[in-house]
Amino acid sequence: MYKFYLLMLYLFPLTVFCQTKGSLQGVIYDEEGRAIAAATITLNPDNHFLEVEEDGSFQIADLYAGVYTLAVSHMGYKNYEQSIEITAGQIAQIKIKLQKDTHTLNEVSVNDKLVQSDNLISATNSAMPVTVISRKQIELMGSRRLDEILKEQTGIAIVNNIAGGNRSVGVQLQGFSSEYVMILIDGQPMVGRNGGSFDLSRISVTNIERIEIIKGAASCLFGSEAMGGAINIITRHGALQPQGVASIRYGSLKIVDATLEGETPFAANRGEANLSANFYHTDGFNVNNRYQTSGTTVPPSDNYTSQGRVRYRLAKSTSAGISGRYGLRKSVMTRGYGNDIYKDHMDEADLNASAYLNSTYKNGLQSLSRFYFTHYNWDSKIEWNNGTLGEQNNFLQSVFRLEQQFAYRIAALSLTGGIGGLLETMNDRSLGDIPSMKNGFVYTQGEWQLTDQLQLLGGGRYDYHANYGGRFNPNLGVTYIPAAFLTFKAAIGSGFKTPDFRQRFQVFTNPLVGYTVLGADIARTQLLAMRDAGQLSELRNYTFNKLQQDGLQAEQSNTFNLTATISPSSKWQVELSAFYHHIKNQINSFQVATATDGQMIYSYLNLPKVNNKGLEASVSYKPLPGLDVSLGYQYLLSKDQSVKDSIRTGNWPYYNLRNPATGETFRSKTADYWGLENRSRHMANLRIFYNYKPWDVGLTFRVNYRGKYPFEDANGNYYIDRYDTFVNGFFLFNASVEKKIFKKHLALQITAENIADYTDYLMPGQLGRVVLAGITYRFFK
Amino acid sequence: MKTTKSRCWCLRYLNWLLDADRRLFLYLFISILFSTGCSKNNEEITPGYEDGKSTAIYDLAGDTNASMSDGVDGKEKRPFYIFLYRFSDKRQIWIRNAADSARYLKTGEWDLAFTGPYNSEVYVNNANDESNPGYGGPATNTAIVRYDQLYSSVTEAPADDIFNQSEISKIGWSSGPNSSGWFNYSLNTHLVVPIKNRIYVIRLADGKYAKLELINVYKGNPPTVSDLNWPAPYYTFRYFVQQDGSKNLNTQ
Repeated sequence: MYKFYLLMLYLFPLTVFCQTKGSLQGVIYDEEGRAIAAATITLNPDNHFLEVEEDGSFQIADLYAGVYTLAVSHMGYKNYEQSIEITAGQIAQIKIKLQKDTHTLNEVSVNDKLVQSDNLISATNSAMPVTVISRKQIELMGSRRLDEILKEQTGIAIVNNIAGGNRSVGVQLQGFSSEYVMILIDGQPMVGRNGGSFDLSRISVTNIERIEIIKGAASCLFGSEAMGGAINIITRHGALQPQGVASIRYGSLKIVDATLEGETPFAANRGEANLSANFYHTDGFNVNNRYQTSGTTVPPSDNYTSQGRVRYRLAKSTSAGISGRYGLRKSVMTRGYGNDIYKDHMDEADLNASAYLNSTYKNGLQSLSRFYFTHYNWDSKIEWNNGTLGEQNNFLQSVFRLEQQFAYRIAALSLTGGIGGLLETMNDRSLGDIPSMKNGFVYTQGEWQLTDQLQLLGGGRYDYHANYGGRFNPNLGVTYIPAAFLTFKAAIGSGFKTPDFRQRFQVFTNPLVGYTVLGADIARTQLLAMRDAGQLSELRNYTFNKLQQDGLQAEQSNTFNLTATISPSSKWQVELSAFYHHIKNQINSFQVATATDGQMIYSYLNLPKVNNKGLEASVSYKPLPGLDVSLGYQYLLSKDQSVKDSIRTGNWPYYNLRNPATGETFRSKTADYWGLENRSRHMANLRIFYNYKPWDVGLTFRVNYRGKYPFEDANGNYYIDRYDTFVNGFFLFNASVEKKIFKKHLALQITAENIADYTDYLMPGQLGRVVLAGITYRFFK
Repeated sequence: MKTTKSRCWCLRYLNWLLDADRRLFLYLFISILFSTGCSKNNEEITPGYEDGKSTAIYDLAGDTNASMSDGVDGKEKRPFYIFLYRFSDKRQIWIRNAADSARYLKTGEWDLAFTGPYNSEVYVNNANDESNPGYGGPATNTAIVRYDQLYSSVTEAPADDIFNQSEISKIGWSSGPNSSGWFNYSLNTHLVVPIKNRIYVIRLADGKYAKLELINVYKGNPPTVSDLNWPAPYYTFRYFVQQDGSKNLNTQ
């Protein structure tokens, strides 16, 4: 790879270092010749963002001579793209007519292809449905942390994993739990999970340009872990003019959210830099006052995040950049039940750093080489008030990743591809020595506009894993537009997830009830050793043989998605989609042996199949300029097919259906099976966004509904039935008001979340009512 | 020009919204939304266990200082101390050393022994069962019969034949098809889930009949535990001993 960079350096002609600048002027108007204000202009390869003036005009000075790609986007209009040549010492003039588009009313738009300088792969390359959350929306809602934004999206829930401890909180996407949803920053994977869950509240939304959510298998783009979907956070890029933001929010639960951000071009616009720092504090919250007499159930924490990005144009069509992010969270949560009080200490830190080189060749081939490093550190301990210590853990994980991407466009066909490798190391006090993992991958993705009505999108990725061999994940999408108001999309994709360290190497003994769990990779030798030493009273041949023959396979998923979008008028858009996720080889624990002292010994095996299927609907209505009303709904059925099999074959304890209220026990029927824990059948949201331009006032009102969902098996038959513990369905109401004054320099904001103050002690992570006041000052010319 | 137009639109829309009838409707709609949000806040009330005849014991502390885990450095890494329990005077007797064992185990001074991890394995004093702490003592005729029904509906002890045939010894984790344990254990959350309405009818050492319900091991007897470190063991249980020697166990 280094040779490649050296080669690139030799290739740059020295002439580009001469001062050869021009500028660009233009105007944006609609089909009726009226100026369009507030359209967004992106100029590539510099990736300059610019908002058009009230009269539809814009001007960019100090541009290096060369060919640029100019992209214009505005809500309600089709995206526009053209290339333009800037000649030294001249002002290039351009007039752009935007065409009305009924399909972009919703933020969910596959046409939305903002090119990034540090990643040629966009989430929109996926055939699966993609939801894009813009910076505007985040700002208007007044959210501080990533989980707050995501929990208001259709089909997404933030779930506490009680089994993972106090701090295991993760995102659930169309029924997939957090361990199957990959989290990426600028297209590079983030690590650091607790009990499989990735706690999104450790990520500040400051400096986020937009968030892309892929619902469904995305392994064809991102490899293992993106089995159920992916969430890609795109950080902010630099601007043309020096500008800065200082903002502070304060309110309930002593929440403080303070941000300083600055960006500036340098070296006569050849380079640009962006720096930001954020501090966030919360006192936490207690949802369990009835039993927990002191402390909180939502952890209090102090969070420090700093982020920086520098880009420099080495030549007309070559730029290089580095970016880094460091996040630190310190938290001590007290939980007290009368005199029994304990403190849960946790420090976590993560570092993400990357460097890239992006070049466009004369023939249109774009190349991007990038290197990424991430390191995650977790330290935790439980300390009781009488001085005794509970569980302690220290966990380190780091990833080195190298990738080479290409993008090329021939007429109606655009191609993206890449090749790369990663090295992952981990150190976990509770797991002992863990070997490092190596993974290599190659992928390609194409998009082909066959006719005006028909578009094909497809590709695949091959991953080679040192322990699990090769795996190919294809995906394919077809878009068909039979009429201007109607679009059909069909997509098929596959995903996988390799077994994690715990499932492979863990040796865990729980003395409370006397059982041991052995990781699959070490179970065989351990069990044989125990048998030879006469420590086993029983070895379950079926499970043991299965473990011996097949080992532990990677989990696999196949996703099918059908979407119809109807836009009867420019004010209305209705989107209906059906999804079906078929998961094979899901990993679960099974008993393999019993020790002579009566201890049960478990290991991990693949389960036959799990299905998540459901419907998603969204309606968006724009009755007035600036007013957006949208409604989202998800129906989900998430079932483990092996539970049905066990009920059918009559395995203990599945055949028991006990009514705890009477003590009676019935014979189970497959219809008694409700589905997986933590999944709601019904989820809905209503959002009203209003932006009244003349007064610079923005209002939002949002209602989120989450239907009842199972919490745990209360009657001991290992599956969820109507007699088990459910969390009641609930509504959450959120609102915000924002007013900009002093020519948009100063913004005042009030946000209110969970207005009805709804809490339930079975939702330990839910905050009560939070009201915050914020003030933001923007420095710009 | 454009601005005024949109403002006009806006005002017209506001007018429309604030029109009396619609305002009523809107307020109604919003208040319904809010009230459904609030009224959902019904907490599960723990039922009272007092019936005038039975004895209910709340949060009887077991050995809360012991730990058997590795990596629990501060807590004493030792087996949990056994405690004995006597129905007649609600007395808790600790077995902390050999002297305590010698003094109490082989006596008729106790009815129940709370043994094992988190004191969760319960025995009825019995002289014949080798694993019983009272093995070799005076309680030669004790037995347990399990019922899966409401505590109040267990009104009579069964025939002596049934007691004699019963093989129930330790009452702990209900880990198999024929287990008579008093709790389920979730391998997923590592939490104990007590089996509701499982009643043990006991023939005591002195020939009297009793019924026993083991209710919870977690402090405060919560309906559901939502914290892996919820303080335990704190025993909540209730029992009734028929003093007249008859089989009548009616407590209503």
